[in-house]
Amino acid sequence: MQSQTRIRRWPWIAIGLSLAVAFTLSMVSPADSVQGDLVRIMYVHVPSAWLAYLAFFVTFIGSVAYLITRSLRWDRIAAASAEIGVYFTGLAIALGMTWAKPTWGVWWTWDARLTLTAIMFFVYLGYLALRRTTDDQVLRAGRASVLGVLGAIQIPLVHFSVIWWRTLHQPPSLVRPDGPAIQDPMMLAALIGGVVAFTIVYVSLMVKRIELIHLEDRKVDMESAVERPVAGEAVTAPELGASS
Amino acid sequence: MTTGFWHQVAAVIERDLLRERRRGDVLWITIPFGAIALLLIPLAVGTDAALLRQIGPGMYWVIVMLFGVLVAVGKASSETLPQQDASSLAGLDPAAGFVGRSVSSGVLLLIFELVVGLVAVGLYNISVIGIPWLVLTLVLAAAGLALLGTLTGAIVNSTSAGTTLVPLLVAPLSVPLLLGATQAYDGLRFGHSILSWVLVMATVVLIVAMIGVLTARPLQET
Repeated sequence: MQSQTRIRRWPWIAIGLSLAVAFTLSMVSPADSVQGDLVRIMYVHVPSAWLAYLAFFVTFIGSVAYLITRSLRWDRIAAASAEIGVYFTGLAIALGMTWAKPTWGVWWTWDARLTLTAIMFFVYLGYLALRRTTDDQVLRAGRASVLGVLGAIQIPLVHFSVIWWRTLHQPPSLVRPDGPAIQDPMMLAALIGGVVAFTIVYVSLMVKRIELIHLEDRKVDMESAVERPVAGEAVTAPELGASS
Repeated sequence: MTTGFWHQVAAVIERDLLRERRRGDVLWITIPFGAIALLLIPLAVGTDAALLRQIGPGMYWVIVMLFGVLVAVGKASSETLPQQDASSLAGLDPAAGFVGRSVSSGVLLLIFELVVGLVAVGLYNISVIGIPWLVLTLVLAAAGLALLGTLTGAIVNSTSAGTTLVPLLVAPLSVPLLLGATQAYDGLRFGHSILSWVLVMATVVLIVAMIGVLTARPLQET
């Protein structure tokens, strides 16, 4: 007998509350002296990029854990995290391009950070494409977990690209050896608030997505159980009145 | 098959190269395809000799990366499921199978690189400089692509996507190799040290080889 999947409602409330707080902080913080109101895009762009790293790192951890334990629970965590990571990487790229056009004068520049982020996006798009190629949960988990480990090579490349190469993209603003580069306390609060809010969104979406994957897997299991002959194809049910 | 690891690797390499000698996929299909691509580029971007000389090395490496995937995938997918089962029942160590298939793909990729490289030098008038470093770059690129192709070939094996998914998986992952190879050539051209780029390529080769060897058994078992 299969266990019931518990449907939780708190993630929706958490997402709503955290996004409301982040939105308020980003609106009450002052405009930047150079960028003007364009700086508000950063309050979504930076948290999105942070979530992309976090999500793909969790995919890596889930993949390694699956390879060690062979528990499908870890595979579901890796899969859910990769989906969220791909969405937020796409959002970070789109918002970065929206910000770049009025600031740099171009939608796209061949900067190391931008290019490697786009490549990371495609690596995990491939990961999701791989997962769609089979309904066999064990086969899918085994294959995807290896790619989840392999794809993680991109994460440090993207993060450290602004340090290793001379790039147009600015270096880290929050996590720096000499403290955050942002001096205005309201702007700093808006950015940190955004990061915290998006992290809560990530956790909430993870909970809901894992629930959904579990339900999808159960549906596939039930469908395949109906299609499968109970005693194998070699055995047929006796028929009343059949001639011997 | 109860021989040692390296004997098994040698047996796999011999089998794959023998299969290639009989079928000639790389020699008669992939190499001419790569050469045609090098011919098509000037028709699209213009036949200015100076421009082609400038973009030639980069175009060559792009062709190697994209078409090289076909070589590696072809080798990875040439083994059918019953053949894999037979190898497994014969006691072939999955890691030895991975290493053997990667080495044979690497050898074929190196041949592909050399032949297509000669075509590129002829068509684009590219200078061949720093030959020892250039050879090292070619070997590392071939090894990296072969390992990535073999590993991703094993990942997609027995899924419904077959080998159509492999280029999508390999192309973005091969970016450090492409960067290393093109930057190394530029370094040689302008007289800079290329050691750091060679190390980047070698690191990628080592990491992918390590992941491939460690995951060979789990991939075979699922």
